Amino acid sequence: MTTPARRRLMRDFKRLQEDPPAGVSGAPSDNNIMLWNAVIFGPHDTPFEDGTFKLTIEFTEEYPNKPPTVRFISKMFHPNVYADGSICLDILQNRWSPTYDVSAILTSIQSLLHDPNPNSPANYEAAQLYRETRREYEKKVAAIVQESWNDDDDDDDDEGEEDEEESKAGS
Amino acid sequence: METDQTERDAAHNKTEKMFTLKKWNLVAMWSWDVECDTCAICRVQVMDACLQCQSENKQDDCVVVWGECNHSFHNCCMSLWVKQSNRCPLCQQEWVVQRTGK
Repeated sequence: MTTPARRRLMRDFKRLQEDPPAGVSGAPSDNNIMLWNAVIFGPHDTPFEDGTFKLTIEFTEEYPNKPPTVRFISKMFHPNVYADGSICLDILQNRWSPTYDVSAILTSIQSLLHDPNPNSPANYEAAQLYRETRREYEKKVAAIVQESWNDDDDDDDDEGEEDEEESKAGS
Repeated sequence: METDQTERDAAHNKTEKMFTLKKWNLVAMWSWDVECDTCAICRVQVMDACLQCQSENKQDDCVVVWGECNHSFHNCCMSLWVKQSNRCPLCQQEWVVQRTGK
């Protein structure tokens, strides 16, 4: 049986594939459409550049009337991300709107990497370094960017990429 | 007399027609009176039934609701959302129903 939340998520997935936003990707897990895996690439011109940060997005049957729970799986060092990876972002809490979809959520988190809000810190150290010693902040971030490339160990990510461009003869 | 004069003028005008209308083609246009044709909550066209009504086979009961802000949604989708917050999901203004219907 499909529920409205599940059907809405299928629409989100379709939209994400047809109109993919730059620098983010996401897909439902193999056997559960209510649990998504996503990747956010660190935005250019930020200390997060080149990082590949993995997240999980967990929906309830009340979606889209209630926001999903979004959490970084990759280690993160950011003023608005808690130690357990959960994110302090207004649109995922009190400013949620049912018009948001997975694409909007991921691009909002991507822009949070770009523009931290040190006034409502979830990671006090990160907020303090961001405000006071930006060089130290950037060093710490550089370390988690490095780590983000290594978290493939726990699951088998050896799926072959099959979208190599086929050369078309006689075009 | 004045009346005679105006009667004569009217008769004169009747005889000398400037033109006759031989053919008359009317063209009518219509469009939906909505600003947004997809319900931003469930992402189905507002003129179709919402996801909830589709899954429960209640297509005929699914109506559209317009707010004072002129944004439109399925009434079912909106009635669930206002339990969370009485704001328009698109413009964040206070949600006041303008009308419901098809």
